[in-house]
Amino acid sequence: MEQLNDKIEHLLSIPPYSQSPDEREAGLLDLLKEELEYACQRHTGYANYIRQWPVNFQSADRVADLPFLPVGILKANPPLCFVSPDEIKRTLTSSATTSQSPSRVVLDAATSRRMTKGVVSIVRDYIGPSRRPYLIVDTPDFLRKSASLGARGAAIQGLQPFASQATYCLNADEQGELTLDRQKLLDFAEKHRDAEVLVYGFTFILWNHLVKPLMPENLCLNIPNIRILHSGGWKRLQDQAVEKSFFNEQLARLFGCSPDCVIDFYGMVESVGVIFPDCPEGNKHGPAFGDVIVRDPLTLEPVAAGEFGIVQVCSVLPTSFPGNLLLTEDLAQVIAYDGCPCGRRGISFRFAGRVPKAELRGCGNLETKRTATN
Amino acid sequence: MTTVTDSKFLQAVDSPAEISDAAGELRARIANDEITPNQVITIFEAWAKSLSAKELDEVPGIVFLRMWLRRGTLEPIIARELGAESLDGGWTEYGRAKCKAFPLGIVGHWPAGNIEIQPILSMTCALLGGNAALVRIPRGLVDLTRILMERLEQADPDERLTQRIFMAAFEHGRMDLHEAMARAVDGAMIWGGKESVLQVRSLPFPHWAKLAVFGPRISVAALDAGAWTHPEEQKTWCLRIARDVWQFDQQACSSPQVLFLERAPGHSAAEFLSNLRRAFETENQAHPRQAIPAALTSAITRARAAWLLGDPSRHAAFPMGPDWTLLVGAGSELPEPVQGKTLAVLEVDDLMDAVAKFDGNVQTLGLGMADVESEKKLALLAGHRGVDRIVKLGRMHTFVPPWDGVDLIRPMVRMVRHVGSAD
Repeated sequence: MEQLNDKIEHLLSIPPYSQSPDEREAGLLDLLKEELEYACQRHTGYANYIRQWPVNFQSADRVADLPFLPVGILKANPPLCFVSPDEIKRTLTSSATTSQSPSRVVLDAATSRRMTKGVVSIVRDYIGPSRRPYLIVDTPDFLRKSASLGARGAAIQGLQPFASQATYCLNADEQGELTLDRQKLLDFAEKHRDAEVLVYGFTFILWNHLVKPLMPENLCLNIPNIRILHSGGWKRLQDQAVEKSFFNEQLARLFGCSPDCVIDFYGMVESVGVIFPDCPEGNKHGPAFGDVIVRDPLTLEPVAAGEFGIVQVCSVLPTSFPGNLLLTEDLAQVIAYDGCPCGRRGISFRFAGRVPKAELRGCGNLETKRTATN
Repeated sequence: MTTVTDSKFLQAVDSPAEISDAAGELRARIANDEITPNQVITIFEAWAKSLSAKELDEVPGIVFLRMWLRRGTLEPIIARELGAESLDGGWTEYGRAKCKAFPLGIVGHWPAGNIEIQPILSMTCALLGGNAALVRIPRGLVDLTRILMERLEQADPDERLTQRIFMAAFEHGRMDLHEAMARAVDGAMIWGGKESVLQVRSLPFPHWAKLAVFGPRISVAALDAGAWTHPEEQKTWCLRIARDVWQFDQQACSSPQVLFLERAPGHSAAEFLSNLRRAFETENQAHPRQAIPAALTSAITRARAAWLLGDPSRHAAFPMGPDWTLLVGAGSELPEPVQGKTLAVLEVDDLMDAVAKFDGNVQTLGLGMADVESEKKLALLAGHRGVDRIVKLGRMHTFVPPWDGVDLIRPMVRMVRHVGSAD
């Protein structure tokens, strides 16, 4: 395990987007094989799955052939786990907005530490390394010390290493309803007007509880040297017909910055430590310690550049649960397999929404839930 | 998104008035033109011939459609459901009374969106009863249905049948158009998943309308020990199972989702499973999938993982892609169906144990039984447990009524009883 840990640490220590696709593939392939071997020793069910995979993972010569797990399998309760109960430091739960049961992933100390390092390595590449005032558009409730942490809390906590001080500008009432603490926001803006500032919020919370309430008064907080990170997906904003460009413009208008300062990132609690911010070209990239494979639903083979498919997230970071090779329920388009004008090496891709939900039917009308595309 | 190009029978509809106008025309045409089942079958036979074109071979279910439209298939069904004299529109004697089938009028059809030939199959049932047909075509089936209907047009130069058909393509969510269809019909054949079926049933049909509902169900296959251990027949059974799984991408209610395999003392199932795997590979090579919804791919990968992670004693066989999956284990409980050519193979000590647990949701039991007496007992138990069709493996999709326990033509006719006044 120590040797494995050293290898993971090595990948965490190099610049996350500096490797050519071949270099990255080679490094990930070897390490992922070792992690699969380790995992098989720790979970008989997982070992059974790996054993019956159509390709022997030891002889696989590409990451795409390694046995991936569908992310939905992490909804198991009790969660799939490679460590003993006394080693569990925290359990992360997904937001479960599109299904009734959340995913549960257990973190031991090592995985938890790597998660933080992974996020820092990635975010540093986008916003620089310095600590700065951190405005969190949420309530502190999500960071209460507890054994369980949700997706919002994990994201807020993941950015803490960039904070010199943290300010929460929302309050929650007894029913959990969020309201903007307007005075706190104005005080923060006044105090840090000339500073480099970091803002984070879930996408729909930024819109519903910050932008929308302040829209009628045309307020400008005038913090030009700001980076606004948000995550959590667009579904709830799409329901309100809010486009990404409009969202960025309105946030930029409120903070008095350029829309380029707004960075949308994709992350899942199931793939801890590997997040995918938008680069200035509007693309997302995989870091040195992880990667993305976009698979053709018909063959499950990686798609060609330009094509759409189901996203698989690869990460060497977790060793406490089977989160190394996860087939998500998201769709994406591969823009290129290398050469993004932003300078980041490796795959560049864009998300294209969720895999449409479908329920089993017998002689059933499968289009019932597909009316949006009819 | 498929663009609907209007044709003679198949039109993109955007207003309730278009549907009620079309229904009015259909009603006027059938009012003065009685057509006998025999006349319908003559046209169907010509249609079946025109559907034999090689370019249609890849249409899922086309083989069954060709067989269904043949006189040899339909005549016995008409005779059984409507009476011996009904073929030529005659009255059939029942004791002192005579009975004759009369059409309901206009029959509305709400076929499922995932069975390619279902709009056509459903419509033919109504036409055989002398009705007119108002058919809602799901978006994804517009192009294929148009091709099949063009062949009917060629087979029916006098428009005896085609004048009785109006096919409407519209968005699933257009409740105003669904309601207009419902108001315009005298009967309805409704196929689909639970949600769809409930939605259509609640439409404002006239109080006299007769509804035939074919809701979501699953099907099961079973082999007794004597059948699957027979050295010369084992491969044949495997091929039959593969064919039943492949039809309609295992999404039909008659598709087997589970195969119960009766344990045979002294025999390992390994060789059988190896043959079944080969049969799946062969079928996959012959009929590879052309497209798949991403959601189904996700469901298949979830099923594989859940099966193997949940119990280390279980096995599975599958290729890298979602083409097909065999999930192998033991027990008499019906596992959650997955579809997408995912077959659970469960060893049981006694097939009766498995059938005894059916709860009315199983439509078809496909059997391969060497022991005739056991088959009789199993069929009886299956009937008691809600199974409506018990057939030989390899014939699970053969579209012969009763289907779902009901006739296909009789529900859409009125049986008029005449007792002579002079008697």
